[in-house]
Amino acid sequence: MHNQKLLVSSHAPYWHNGSSISGKSYSFMLAALPAVIMGIYQYGLPALGVLALSISCAMIWELLMDLAMRRPVSIGDGNAAVIGLLFAMLLPATAPWWLVVAGTFVAIIIGKQIYGGIGCNPFNPSLVAIAIIMLSWKSFMDFNEALVNYDLGFYMVYPLSAVKHMGTSVLSNFSMTGLLLGQQAGGIGTTFGLGLIIGGLYLILRGHIRWEISLSFLLGVFVTAYFFNIADPDKYAPPLFHILTGYSLIAAFFLLTEDSSSPVNFVPMLIYGAVAGFLTVLIRNIGAFVDGAVFAILLVNVSNPLLDKIRPKAMGKGTEHA
Amino acid sequence: MAKTVVQEFTKGLWAEIPPFRLVLGLCPVLAVTKTVENGVGMGIATTFVLVCSNILISLLRNVIPKNVRIACFIVVIATFVIVVELVMQAFAYPLFLKLGIFIPLIVVNCIVLGRAEAFAAKNGVVSSFADGLGIGIGFTLSLTALSIFREVLGSGTFTIPISSVSVPVFGPSFQPFNFLVEAPGAFVCLGLMLCVMNMLGKK
Amino acid sequence: MREMIRLFLVIFLFSCVSGGLLAVVRSGTQERIEYQQLKFVKGPTIKEIMEGCSNDPLSDRFKIMDGDKEISFFVGEFDGKRSVVAFESFGKGFGGDIGVIIAVNLETDEIIGIGVTTHSETPGLGSRAKSEPDLSSQFKGLSIKDPFKVTADGGKIDSISGATITSRGVCGAVVTSASIYERLKNDILKKIKA
Repeated sequence: MHNQKLLVSSHAPYWHNGSSISGKSYSFMLAALPAVIMGIYQYGLPALGVLALSISCAMIWELLMDLAMRRPVSIGDGNAAVIGLLFAMLLPATAPWWLVVAGTFVAIIIGKQIYGGIGCNPFNPSLVAIAIIMLSWKSFMDFNEALVNYDLGFYMVYPLSAVKHMGTSVLSNFSMTGLLLGQQAGGIGTTFGLGLIIGGLYLILRGHIRWEISLSFLLGVFVTAYFFNIADPDKYAPPLFHILTGYSLIAAFFLLTEDSSSPVNFVPMLIYGAVAGFLTVLIRNIGAFVDGAVFAILLVNVSNPLLDKIRPKAMGKGTEHA
Repeated sequence: MAKTVVQEFTKGLWAEIPPFRLVLGLCPVLAVTKTVENGVGMGIATTFVLVCSNILISLLRNVIPKNVRIACFIVVIATFVIVVELVMQAFAYPLFLKLGIFIPLIVVNCIVLGRAEAFAAKNGVVSSFADGLGIGIGFTLSLTALSIFREVLGSGTFTIPISSVSVPVFGPSFQPFNFLVEAPGAFVCLGLMLCVMNMLGKK
Repeated sequence: MREMIRLFLVIFLFSCVSGGLLAVVRSGTQERIEYQQLKFVKGPTIKEIMEGCSNDPLSDRFKIMDGDKEISFFVGEFDGKRSVVAFESFGKGFGGDIGVIIAVNLETDEIIGIGVTTHSETPGLGSRAKSEPDLSSQFKGLSIKDPFKVTADGGKIDSISGATITSRGVCGAVVTSASIYERLKNDILKKIKA
């Protein structure tokens, strides 16, 4: 913040292009709305409760941490709210209140503030929280167990665990259009594929996220799943199924593209996304966990500083088009 | 700047409390604090070694030649560690089974060698004793605090030292936060406690 | 040169004193440590297989030299008679030695029970030899003079499914026990009477 003056290069007057942290946060919330509304429509009031509690808790933790560390209060920029929103979207609608409180604590304090607040976090805060929650309270994060009391008129087994335990014979229970339209068990905001894609396209067009990352992630998932599927069609699901189920789409557009934990140059972005997609399918198909997206993204987050060293452009050197 | 004996003792309890202020001896701090019993047992064993080696090294500080002092310190420390190990095997075998390899590893715990080199080798017997006792008790307190934090939240129980009885702290509907008893949880807990200590100390 | 000798002497003296001290502590605690080890490692197994005895087999024990090896025997008192001894022997398992404690009735040569103490078998497969009674209960009531073999080798002990080598190791340990028992039976009887 203090060093901004170093980059001033020309004389006033300036034209502010209107982008700001809060504006960006609102765009994210707007983009997430279709999927979130679908989640609330499907799971009813409990889903709304989890969402509201998660967003408000995240903001309270942010406020408390700001006060404790004597930093300027930063809940106005909406970043904490977005973290809370994304965290809640990954949860099943039946998540108990204490799980949400503990999860947002991990997300805001350990995932973000400890590293120095917004822009300094090496991992995606929502994913740090979801990973720790998954390891601690398995039964609450198991969608089959959590959603046992729901019957929404379609096959209510979590698609990824169905394929993992019963092979591809269960695929006849799912139709690709059904999966795209949210007819699958899963997190509050992760099932409505079409809504996530619309939100993602909106963010790409507004320039808040980079298409390179999203596209290379989806390609990585597709290609890896394709080869697995060729090798053993009875055991491994086809590529489109992998893209439409689990955390794939929300990861592609909302989680993987988080600012400070993703690379900024073209080639690194492609590698980053593709490796994440490859690892996701690898963990899903031969790993111990049902959905690999969480750990795959945390792993590529770690490699982010290294990836950014690939052919960086020197600042201020001027390009041919300048 | 001559300090009184009391000051030498009390500095180990707050100003130089080992894992948090000196950030020394982290290996046992992280490894054995899964239950309160283990934490307290490890702390007491380390305190005993620390006090004994401090006294002996302080007594012998004029006899030990400078060139081979580290070797002599290690011989002294190792002797006491094996004494602790044997006594623990004889009288608290279940605790020995749990602490296992970490008891012999007190030899290389940098707190013990650090105090021998930095303090006992330069000071008199009485203040060395006070220093060893203070640092040892400080170490025990830190281990206890960390292990209470981790055990109560991570497993929902409280293991009373010596009796080895695990008492459930919360009602049966409590879901333990397993992450805290895992190794990464130890790092996170230690970091958070360091953070709180620094906030309190800054004023 | 004098300095060198001084350094040498100091360290030498330190080590001597330290060694002496440790020897004293060791001899002082040795017996108790042995008892504690028995109580917490072998104790539960011995108690289990000698269920119903009226004394404490852990404290009622003696040692006999078998060649150059020392073996501990634990005496169990049934119906007022000191008629049962238990001792440990080892067999080759899948992941190393398997320790088996076997209790034998001295009058009838009948096996009262066996129990696995230490092992390093695969968890979930070979480790079931210790955690589940399926294998060890088959030995109960057999005569120690029987040949012990798993069914795969033409014997009559049903091995644990998926852990034939472990089962074979347990049988091997029992066979070893039988030969120890044969060799030392007279000594055991003498010791018990005394």
